[in-house]
Amino acid sequence: MTENQADSTVKIILANQIGYERLAMACSASFAKMFGFPKDRIEDLKTIVAEASINAMQHGNKGRADAKVIVTFGYQEDMIRVKVADEGEGIKEKPPNPNINKIIEEDEVVCGFGLFLIEQLADQVEYRKNAGKGHVVEMALKMKA
Amino acid sequence: MQNKNEIALEKHESVILLNIQGDITSFSEPFLNQAYAEANDQGAQKILLNVEEGAYINSGGIAVLIQILAQTKKNNQQICIAGLSDHFKKIFNMVGITKFADIHEDVDSAITAMSG
Repeated sequence: MTENQADSTVKIILANQIGYERLAMACSASFAKMFGFPKDRIEDLKTIVAEASINAMQHGNKGRADAKVIVTFGYQEDMIRVKVADEGEGIKEKPPNPNINKIIEEDEVVCGFGLFLIEQLADQVEYRKNAGKGHVVEMALKMKA
Repeated sequence: MQNKNEIALEKHESVILLNIQGDITSFSEPFLNQAYAEANDQGAQKILLNVEEGAYINSGGIAVLIQILAQTKKNNQQICIAGLSDHFKKIFNMVGITKFADIHEDVDSAITAMSG
């Protein structure tokens, strides 16, 4: 399932099934630990990897059983870079940040927490179309917040 | 890969404690709703959610918890949460859950605070 490449990049291919994001989380934690990341940043990394993978499975691949999610980890200059690629069209328009007051007091629909957490915890986030097909979320996390 | 939760209810005088075993994800919705309904059947006015140590909580689980918070707000119930790791304390603060539920270190300190 894992493929170690010469430049220390690690790539894992996930089945498009909710729950498999845990494999990407475990891999991200081991990867970050190998480079000496502190515990709090490893937890941040696990969360952004989980949320990006879940979004890729549900929204990108629209739950298709035959689709895949590809997660790639790389390390460079005290920073871990993660790419989460799916086979979808990407985000047409980024949803507004969720407003818990409106959700609780005005019955607003609960959504958008995954992207919100990614943008809060990661140091850099980019959304772009993949060169071939599909969509990729690129995130970077510094060793120190 | 769907996770299940076992949620045991305990009554501590005026506080109903919901001990949540397992990860909290979108799959937790029926389990948490059922436990909340059982707490209501017992006339709960103060509810304490205790999260299992090391539990994984994702955005789907956060959404489920927020729906419970919304119901407690409508029903004029006090709700608190215990057992969270430092990471999830930070996350719950980020998403605003701490505006509607006090976070306590553990069950004992939560019950003491809620009983006051």
